[in-house]
Order: sequence, then C-alpha cells, then structure tokens
Amino acid sequence: MTPNIAIVRIETPHCHRISLWIPLFLLWIPAVLLSPLIVLVIVGLSIAGRIDPWQATSVFWNILCSLPGTNVRVTADGSNVAVRIL
Amino acid sequence: MNENRRQILEMLAAGKVNADEAERLLAALEPESANSFGGFTGTIAGANGASEAAVKTRAKYLRVLVEATEKDAPTTVNVRVPMQLLRAGVRLASLIPAQAHEQLDATLSKHGIPLTLSQIKPENLEELIDHLEDLTVDVDAREEKAKVRVFCE
Repeated sequence: MTPNIAIVRIETPHCHRISLWIPLFLLWIPAVLLSPLIVLVIVGLSIAGRIDPWQATSVFWNILCSLPGTNVRVTADGSNVAVRIL
Repeated sequence: MNENRRQILEMLAAGKVNADEAERLLAALEPESANSFGGFTGTIAGANGASEAAVKTRAKYLRVLVEATEKDAPTTVNVRVPMQLLRAGVRLASLIPAQAHEQLDATLSKHGIPLTLSQIKPENLEELIDHLEDLTVDVDAREEKAKVRVFCE
C-alpha cells in the first residue's frame, strides 16, 4: 500500500505547535498526468546506469509501498519535530 | 519407560532371561521405540513451534533511540522504520551495476573491509534482515552522556 498521509508536527519554544497533514494520495493526480514523462525519465536513467528499468521500477515501488509506518521524532533545544507516514 | 521394556527388565530381574538375551530383546524393541520417540518429538516440536509463533510474533519495526545531552539540553532521536522498508532498501544493492562491484570491492578492502559485493545475494540480505529481529544494541556512553538503543519490536 502506498503512503496516503504524512503528518508533520513542529513544536518550538517560540511558536505554537504546528501540525500538518499532507495528503500524499493527492500526488497520484500529477503522477498520473506526468506518467509518460516519468516513464521516459526512468528508462533514460536506467539506460544511462546500465540497469534493468523493470528491476529499478520494482525496487523503488517496493520502497514506496514500505514507507507507511515510518516514524521519526527529533527533540533538541526545546524544539520537537515529528514526521509520521501513514 | 514403555511396557515392553519394563517386562524385559522384570524378566531379567526374575532370572527368567540372562543379560545377553535381555539385551537382544531390548535391541529388538529399538526401532519401535525410536519410531514412537520420533513421533513424540515431532509432536513436541510442532507444539513448541506453534507456541513460539504465538509467543514471539514477527518483528515489524526497527527502532533506534538516541538520548544525548548537548550543552545541558537533552536531545532525543526516536526513529521507527518498518522492517519491510529495510527489506525493500537492501534490494537497492541489486541496482549497483556489475562493473561498479570491482571498484567498490577494491575501495572497501582498502579501508579494511574484506567484502565482495558480487558474492552477496538477495537471499543473504533477506537472511540478514530476518536475523535483525533478534538484534538489540545498547550503548551507554556515560562520559559523553549519550545513550543509544537499537532493537526490533
């Protein structure tokens, strides 16, 4: 399953807590519209790197689909940044 | 001890058979007992496997926790990475062109890492990820006031 939403929370001592919900599923719209260009770029890069374009696509697709569940939280100097991918 | 073995030993104790005859009789029972024992261990192994599966569920995430104190301000990093992402990530190695392997091997060996990338197969990497589930690393550097924990959950 591809990532649907990314939640970014930023909290600093000077400003209020900011919580951003980024709807990643909406990226499908430009991705579909730009798909011919994306395919050309993938094939071009694969030929330049002498790798199998199908294999490259498969690897990156697997990485994309594995992203949900990733959680990164960093606290330093009273600031707090958290990123969650759902 | 099964019933047949007990009868043979009782006959030996009663003097009805001598030691050699008892040994031969016990030896004759061996295949039967071995089979029954094999079946028994198989059952136990299966039961253990089921219970282990029930107790120890497959780890889903790799956690990295870092706690440090810099300039008297605590700094913490808490990263949770899905194991599936690690599995997908190690497959990136398959995209390294074959001609780059030699250069990488030479550079790694120059830095004291005798590793041959071409010998690493995807199944080896899968095995490596599977064994990460049993990994727990605890680093407690008291002088640096830092603590690092790496584990799977």
